[in-house]
Formats: sequence, structure tokens, C-alpha cells
Amino acid sequence: MTRDEIKDVILEIIEDIDEEADFDNLDAEAPLRDQLDLDSMDFLDIVMELRKRYKLQIPEEEYPQLATLASCVNYLEPKLKNV
Amino acid sequence: MPMADYQLIIIGGGLSGLAAGIRAARFGKKTLILEQHALPGGLNSYYIRQGHLLETGLHAMTNCAAASDKHAPLNRLFRQLHLSRKQFVIHQQIASEIRFSGRSLLFSNEPALLEAEIFREFPASIDRFRQLKKEIAAFDPFAASPWRSARKFLAESLQQPRLEDMLLLPLMVYGNAEEHDMDLGQFVIMFRAIFEEGFFRPSGTMRDFLELLVRQYQGFGGELRYRASVAEIIADQGRIQGVRLANGEYLTAEAVLSTAGLPETIRLSGWDADRDDYSGRMSFMETISLLPPEHTAALSRDRTIIFYHAGPVLKYQRPDSYLDTSWGVICFPENFSGQPPADLSQIRVTNAASYPLWKALPPQEYGPMKQLWAAASVTASEEIIGNYKQSIVYQDSFTPLTIERFTRKAQGAVYGSAVKIRDGVTPWPNLFIAGTDQGYLGIVGAMLSGVTVVNRHLLR
Repeated sequence: MTRDEIKDVILEIIEDIDEEADFDNLDAEAPLRDQLDLDSMDFLDIVMELRKRYKLQIPEEEYPQLATLASCVNYLEPKLKNV
Repeated sequence: MPMADYQLIIIGGGLSGLAAGIRAARFGKKTLILEQHALPGGLNSYYIRQGHLLETGLHAMTNCAAASDKHAPLNRLFRQLHLSRKQFVIHQQIASEIRFSGRSLLFSNEPALLEAEIFREFPASIDRFRQLKKEIAAFDPFAASPWRSARKFLAESLQQPRLEDMLLLPLMVYGNAEEHDMDLGQFVIMFRAIFEEGFFRPSGTMRDFLELLVRQYQGFGGELRYRASVAEIIADQGRIQGVRLANGEYLTAEAVLSTAGLPETIRLSGWDADRDDYSGRMSFMETISLLPPEHTAALSRDRTIIFYHAGPVLKYQRPDSYLDTSWGVICFPENFSGQPPADLSQIRVTNAASYPLWKALPPQEYGPMKQLWAAASVTASEEIIGNYKQSIVYQDSFTPLTIERFTRKAQGAVYGSAVKIRDGVTPWPNLFIAGTDQGYLGIVGAMLSGVTVVNRHLLR
């Protein structure tokens, strides 16, 4: 998957989790949770959705690497390169 | 190790079990819900008598919130269940009332109304009440903390015993397993849920709402069996292996989540604990009367729920008699804004009841006693809303025994044990507790309980 495709997957997962999600003015370098008003339960769903779709096991200590859209892409790029 | 029949077996198809099931099935767990009754819902279900659909438990849902308020418990719950909040049509309460002898406070989903009412009824206490609201806003009820007395907190902050009782009655009666007092954290949760967010009903009946949840669960691949009564939770070598049903069938599972309440889970699993330590004492009898709508209009005067108390000091406790009609709840389920008119409208009256007294009755005396106390309950409510006995076209009641039989909540304790197991864990690493005895109460609370226990223990 390319970096752009990974970005689209993340946004699609968030949109699926939260029908009120609004991506206008989303800053890729700023925390997703603050910008989208998500809580820790929603955040868990991003992790669960990645596991369900790509069989990715993301250990809890690595959750901080999913904090921003840019860090998500950086973190997932090697893991999804063959997808 | 051979493959288990299911990754997760959930005991109980009530609201916590269904919510837990949706979470587990949504993320691919092979899940089975076992419900002993022929219908889902547990404490919040329905039954049909002579063509009338009668709801149990539900008077209203708490935690009303606009779809755009992302942090509201209702909306967090809907996101977790992957249900569209936008497509979920709700009807808000018109207004409810707390009526004590000579005193009255109205409240609605607009918190300013309660404040104005307190100013009207207790003008000397208004500054203290405003300060109390600030303290409630700053309080984190989800932080782990030891039990604190809500009564002591209210006595110190309000210094007005009557107002203290009036505020406590709706909060206790909609979610307090303890007698006399409640934990401050639980008080704050209930204060926000009822006085700040408020009451609503989903469009349609409880059946429609339960069908929505069951469809969602089955849509994710979850399995649900009715009339499947669990007789034993089987443990071996320190782990739960599965469950045995009343018909002898044995089903294996990697994990079991019980929503049957602590005393029942203790009995089913052979857990070394005293059931009586975890049996709640608060149970209720409810009488549902159906009347032609034109008769209830005059009685209800646009009230949704009336919390009444006619004695000197509020006694939130198991009564010494079969029923305590000195305080109770009168609900007009048709009085939510925008609801289509019903052919017959209901008046539901709920009073605290003594489980041991009902339990001790010989079978031939149970029916007549139920009739006697249903009449007493209606008479007590007539003191508050006016006479309606002569207009009743159909009436039915349920007692603590009915509740115990259909929901397995020991002693009919609808709010479960006064001792909660907040983390949902048991002596076995793969047996968990959700629902009433995990701690969150009400429909939204029960569902959040199922969600949080699955998130914490089964999805990571």
C-alpha cells in the first residue's frame, strides 16, 4: 500500500467509526483524538479495525504511534507494504 | 488444545449481554448469547397480554443527548455499537416532577428548569444548589476512589434535608442498589444522566429497540439462542471450560461473560463466595394500568414521570411490609414529545417491595396478595394524580418474584448487589461479569457495561 492509500484507509476507518467525523481542516501533524473529538474507546476501534482488515497485531505500548495521521502512515507503511 | 465451540459465550440476552455481543462479534469473535427467556431484553423487555404490548423496566432512557455531542454517553455507546445515532429517532420527555407533601419540583431536559424550580421552592438554597452543580461538574466519577456518602456530601453542601431527599429520590429509584444512601460517584453519574441530560424514549416500543440490537448483533455474525437456560458454568484446572445447559447440552468456550448477576454467577460457577453478601435488597412491584387516552390526559397534566413521597422522611429501603406505597414512581409512557397517540394509554406505578415476604407466600395466596397490593398502589397514586381506578380497562402487575424468575436477578434486586465488581473480573481468568453487578445502571449504563468489559478483557 502506498502512503496515500494508507492515509485513505485510516480516514475511511474513522469515518466508519464516527458518522459525525469532519475532515475539513484536518492537520496531519496534530493529534487525531483532539481534532476529531474521539475518545479512547473510539481509538481502540481504529486498532481493532486494522487488526480485522489486515491481521495487524498492534501492541498497546505502540498505540502512541497512531496519534496523528502522519505518524499513523509512518508506522503502518512498513507493516502494510505487501498488502 | 481442541478448538472450543465458541470464543465467547455470553450468559443473558439483556442490554449488557447484547451490547457485549455486538462488540465481540463486530471484531470477529465467534460469539453465542444464551438467553433463558423466549425474548431478549432481560430487565428491560416486554410481554404481550390480551393483545397489549406491555414493557417491563423501561420508564424512560436517561442520558438524552443531541447527535452532535460526541462525548455524551449515549453517542459514545452508539459509536461503539456501530449504530447510526442520526437514524435513531428519539422522543424527549415533556416534564417530570418530584412531588413531596406540600413541595414540588419540575424538571425537564433543560437543566435551567430545575434550577428555576429550586429557586421558587427553596429560595434560600439556590446559591448552595448552584455551588453544588459546579462541584458535580468538576467531579470525576470514573476515577477509582473509595465509597463516599452522597447523603453526607449533600447535607453539607445544601443544608436543606427536604431538598436533599427530593433530589435523591429520582436518582436512587433509577439506579441505586444500596439502601438509605448512595456512593457519591454513583450520585454524580445519575445526577448528570437525569437532571442534566434527561429522559427520552426511542421511537416505537422496547421491542423495536431490542430488535435493532439483535439485528446488529446477528448482522456481525453473532449467534443467539432463546429458551437456553444455563445450569452450570464448568471450571477445570483453574479455567472455565464452558457451560452446561438445563437440557444437558455442553458447550465449550474460550471465555464466558455472565450478565446474570453476582449471586447467580456464584451459584452457576461454584465460586467460593457467599451469595447473600451480593444479594441486593432493593426490589420493586409495578402495576401497569391501561385506560382510554382521554382519561389519562386530565390526570397527567403533561407530566412524564412523577416521583412522589408522602411521608416525613424518605425511606429508600426494603420495606417492612409487602409494599411501601408512601413513596414511588408514577410514569405516563405516552407523555414524550412527538409520540403518536396510542389506542390505550398507560399509567405505571412502581413501589419498593419486600422480596422475602413475597417469597414466603404459599402459592394460593400469591395471586390475591398481588391484587390487594396492586389496588393499594393505585390508591396511593390516586392521592397524587386523581382518581382513575374506575376507568381502567386492563391491569397487570409484576412483583420481585416475577423479576427473579424472568431475569435471574437474585431476590428480584433490579439494581443488583450493593457491592459492585467494577473491573468485571472473577477468580477465573476467562470468566467475566457485566451488567448490573459490574456497576453501570440504566439502559445506557448496562450497555456501556457490556461494551467496556469486552473492550478491556476480550478485545485486546
